[in-house]
Amino acid sequence: MGLLTIVTFLPLLGIIWILLQDKEKDDERVKRIALGTSIVTFIATIVVLALYDKSEAGLQLVDRVSWIPAWGIEYHMGVDGLSILHILLTSFISMLAIASSFPIIKQQVKQYYSFLLALEIGMMGVFLAQDLFLFYVFWEFTLVPMYFLIGIWGGKDRVYASIKFFLYTMAGSLLMLLAILYMGITNGTFSLPDLIAGRAAFASAQNLLFVGFAVAFAIKVPVFPFHSWLPDAHTQAPTAGSIILAGVLLKMGTYGFVRFNLPLFPEASAHYAPTIAVLAIIGIIYGAIVSFAQRDVKKLVAYSSISHLGFVMLGIFSLNAQGIQGGILQGINHGISTGALFFIVGIIYEQRHTREISEFGGVWMAMPVYSVLSLIVVLSSMGLPGLNGFVGEFTILLGSIGAASLGPNAWIYTAFATTGVILAAVYLLWMFQRVFMGPLDNPENKKLRDINKGELAIMLAFLLFVFWIGIAPSGYFALMDASVAELVKTVGSAVASLP
Amino acid sequence: MNAFALAPLVLGLPILGVLFNGFVGRRFVEADRSVGEKWSGWAASIMALSAFVIVVLLYFSLQANGHHAEIVPMMDWISIPSANFHIPWAMQIDTLSVTMMLVVTGVGSLIHIYAIGYMHGDPNFSRFFTYLNLFLFFMLILVSGNNYLMLFVGWEGVGLCSFLLIGFWFDRTNEKGEAMNANAARKAFVANRVGDLAMILAMSLTFWTFGTLNFEPVFDSAVEMFHSGAMVHFGAFSASLGGVLTAITALFLVGATGKSAQIPLLVWLPDAMAGPTPVSALIHAATMVTSGIYLIVRSNVLFEIVRESHALVLGVISSPDLVALVGALTAVYAGLIAFTQFDIKKVLAYSTVSQLGFMIAAVGMGAYVAGMFHLITHAFFKALLFMGSGSVIHGMEHGHHHISHGHGHDNHHDHFDPQDMRTMGGLRHHMPTTFWTYLVGSLALAGIVPLAGFWSKDEILAHASANSGGINTVVYILLTIAAFCTAFYMARQVKMVFFGEPRHKAAEHAHESPRTMTMPLVILAILAILGGLLNFPHFGAEAEAAHGAETAVVAAGEHAAEVESAGGLNLALEHWLEHSIASFHLTEEGVVEMPHTPTTLQIPVATISSVLAIAAIAIAYFLVYGSRPKTADERDPLQATPIWWMAVLPLNTLYMGYIVPAFNRLAEWAAHTLDWAFWHDFVHDNIIRNIFVGFANFASNVLDAQGVDGIVNGSGSVARWLANQIRRSQTGYARNYALSVFLGTVVLLAYFLFMAR
Repeated sequence: MGLLTIVTFLPLLGIIWILLQDKEKDDERVKRIALGTSIVTFIATIVVLALYDKSEAGLQLVDRVSWIPAWGIEYHMGVDGLSILHILLTSFISMLAIASSFPIIKQQVKQYYSFLLALEIGMMGVFLAQDLFLFYVFWEFTLVPMYFLIGIWGGKDRVYASIKFFLYTMAGSLLMLLAILYMGITNGTFSLPDLIAGRAAFASAQNLLFVGFAVAFAIKVPVFPFHSWLPDAHTQAPTAGSIILAGVLLKMGTYGFVRFNLPLFPEASAHYAPTIAVLAIIGIIYGAIVSFAQRDVKKLVAYSSISHLGFVMLGIFSLNAQGIQGGILQGINHGISTGALFFIVGIIYEQRHTREISEFGGVWMAMPVYSVLSLIVVLSSMGLPGLNGFVGEFTILLGSIGAASLGPNAWIYTAFATTGVILAAVYLLWMFQRVFMGPLDNPENKKLRDINKGELAIMLAFLLFVFWIGIAPSGYFALMDASVAELVKTVGSAVASLP
Repeated sequence: MNAFALAPLVLGLPILGVLFNGFVGRRFVEADRSVGEKWSGWAASIMALSAFVIVVLLYFSLQANGHHAEIVPMMDWISIPSANFHIPWAMQIDTLSVTMMLVVTGVGSLIHIYAIGYMHGDPNFSRFFTYLNLFLFFMLILVSGNNYLMLFVGWEGVGLCSFLLIGFWFDRTNEKGEAMNANAARKAFVANRVGDLAMILAMSLTFWTFGTLNFEPVFDSAVEMFHSGAMVHFGAFSASLGGVLTAITALFLVGATGKSAQIPLLVWLPDAMAGPTPVSALIHAATMVTSGIYLIVRSNVLFEIVRESHALVLGVISSPDLVALVGALTAVYAGLIAFTQFDIKKVLAYSTVSQLGFMIAAVGMGAYVAGMFHLITHAFFKALLFMGSGSVIHGMEHGHHHISHGHGHDNHHDHFDPQDMRTMGGLRHHMPTTFWTYLVGSLALAGIVPLAGFWSKDEILAHASANSGGINTVVYILLTIAAFCTAFYMARQVKMVFFGEPRHKAAEHAHESPRTMTMPLVILAILAILGGLLNFPHFGAEAEAAHGAETAVVAAGEHAAEVESAGGLNLALEHWLEHSIASFHLTEEGVVEMPHTPTTLQIPVATISSVLAIAAIAIAYFLVYGSRPKTADERDPLQATPIWWMAVLPLNTLYMGYIVPAFNRLAEWAAHTLDWAFWHDFVHDNIIRNIFVGFANFASNVLDAQGVDGIVNGSGSVARWLANQIRRSQTGYARNYALSVFLGTVVLLAYFLFMAR
């Protein structure tokens, strides 16, 4: 049993331990077990990082055993430059999501933390699985705990939101399942490296197969116009659920594009790049405009994800090193910044039990520390240089303007995408002004307490990465450079062969 | 001696100040107001002063170093090896950056000290100084970075600080209940972001064209590519170097119009006056708003190549000419609007926009040194004027405070505006230091011999007239009109504020500001008087001789710097900056480095502008405002003239009256109608759900009933059974559909795999 298997299934030990606790009596103990498990998992991913050789482009720390030999299905786990940051993000965000739930979740505590830990297993598996069938199992598995997290501990429309979330993402996955089965059965293997090596066998069908995968991933991201599940799920989920949804689950979609679509169907990727770039840019602009008019802070943050993920998609389908690395890093950045934004919204919601922007104003005077930290996160989300968001955004735009995949008019795509920079300032500052600035005239808001030590610790954990990635991102790029370079070589020649 | 290793301290000291005031300053102030304020304010000021001292050391180091640019690396920033993309955190210490740093830290220090007095008693005293130091930090990054991306860090960072400082009193509302300070702050940030869009695009193009964003390699390879006539290729894109550089420089111009408040993005600066006055002096007059000029001067090589390559923006005008034209038009436009203002700071704000127009016009014409010269002198006298106006406002507030206490409570509720010039008058008796220094600043700004503004403005006008033809003639005429406007609105302001009789009780009881406020005024007044010496021009025959000497030296293949001693005090700035500002022409032999045109005093130009300035002052002082206005509500004599039309700022009306409401409506429609009512509710909850239902029924009834084969039959039955089970559960039909769809797919798949073979 290799390290990656241990990392993935560590939370299972926590779940078992939690389920062994006495019913309802030991809520505090359950919380400690959950947090402890997630911390150990986080440390385990750090160990993976320590053992990871960033100069190596291929899969590392591979666990590979036969699972269903008759179908050529294997249990195959491995880590490379495309996944290393994602598993770190997963364990980091899961840890903070669990910690952030302590004061919030008071009912069915055991089940709640069990589902959170189960979700972590699923997400980790998605980022590590190197067998298409295994990947699909983990992919679908993540739906189940999330479905219950939203449906049981969510807001007042939680049932509707959870069902919609489940249906929508599952329906999208079915085409992917078809594509996976087709490739697996025609090639006699579901192993991703083997399929990439033998991709000539299904090259003629690659446009269809590309679409099969792309729809599943596009719904997850979500790419415009497949975003309709997102505002429901994000707003109805409990704070921790929103943090994980935005922080990690959406990245499963963008990761899927990089992990599967690009190397398996390079010609199709080059072929569809302009189409996806257009959808991405519509998402950037549309998401920002729709965010602007929201009256509920949480919904505003939810829609902002559509805009941010548009940048990520644009970067990936630039199909060059800047774009793809920028895209992956911006996915991480979005996980940190938007995760932190949901956390911020959660803090104020727990005190006021409302998220209506018009209910607030002048919060800065009541909660100075909270407000300053929130401002930093807002600025990070806006892409202020020196903070994390800018690094990703700039490398993406740099990639897209020089993208051969977008043709000689790539600069037009980039010019439109860059308007997202203005719009981000428009909707985020408008929100910031109405919530934090202005007179403190609502008596309810005068009673607000500033953040406590626990909340501060979580915020500082987010902010550490906001500054670190903003000021010294080279180490992060170095982790993925070799793998992305390899990938760019593959898709690059496909782009060059375009008519 | 070599102090280059100390350069990072220039950035580190303000950050130290930020940390001090950000974390502990507030406790000092809360523990003991008067002592704490001293700690907080002086800690910040000492950081600024220490940074100034280090910059002075850098100045001497450069002199000892033969003016060679020194790169001081600090650490790696963004590095993507496989894309060959490397951006360092590194400082470029050359004559241009040191000049900017001297202005920023020098004027900045004085403003810090002034603010100790001005902000006395503010409940968020230490927060103010945190922001002020943070601003200094970003401004220094902006001018000292060795690459465009670092410049952009500073560029947006100062924008952030501007946002924070304009919105410093974010809880203030006007009579209508609008949080106008917060609105102004946001407007400034958003307007600047429009410019930032252009900056990001320009930087991206620069990287793909030259493979780097570091200044020196970019400029070197630009010259080389220009010399060899290379084309630009990247991605699937290719174009001529002139074409790409035209795009880059035009985008830089858009960036500059945002930060330096030029047409069409100038609308944020007047609103920015809602911030505390030291902020207006530091950020919105002396330093941040000059970033656009710095950017263009720094990129002079690119602009000069465009000028030489004759590429045009949209086939109409070359980008340097466009820069000059935008600057000149802004200078006149803002100069006219300044006539119509009653708010003492708004007059200065439009004046700043107008003077920035002078600088932009200068650098657009290629008169980089003249632009920088005006930037420096303007920093002196405009900081002086803003701080003087702050002193006036301070005095008026105290006067108002005095009367409202003297006459019971009834005056508390009137809307007294301490910035309205109509309520002032006669202040010269009550605030003598403020008056005299203000007078010096005004005359310097108006361009009266021999104050600083005369020399720097004259150099710009002289350049425009000496290189006449094409756009320069237009620029010369526009700037001369603008210079007339300048003298007029300043004379109007001085008359309304300091002369005549007090028009309000508050003005009668105004008194002079404390020493921390007046001392910086005196220092800046001295600088405003002597600033012209920085780049004192040649006169007549002496100029011809010097010009001949320099040309001869260049002809002999020597560097023009060799003749520096010949000039002595004359053109000190010119000789200092020429180490950072390339000047070259395309000849048959290729690129040839040229000396800057030695600037001589153009007697006709100087005479015309002086006569116009004096005439403008006379008209303003004696004719228009001879004995009026006498009372606070008397009409301004100008209100009967067409000039007043400028009061309705068309650009602001365009943005705030049309574009912003249109955007709001679009967003409302997109969010609530298109996305929610149509896409979310109608399409998803009706159409897609119905398709699901239909498909589920098809899967469980039709396929099953007809029995494709055994397996399918079985799974269909399971589906129907499961569906029936779930249908009974209270959570609705969704899971039923999900399951049916899933099983239906399995059916299709099975058919696909086994039957199709």
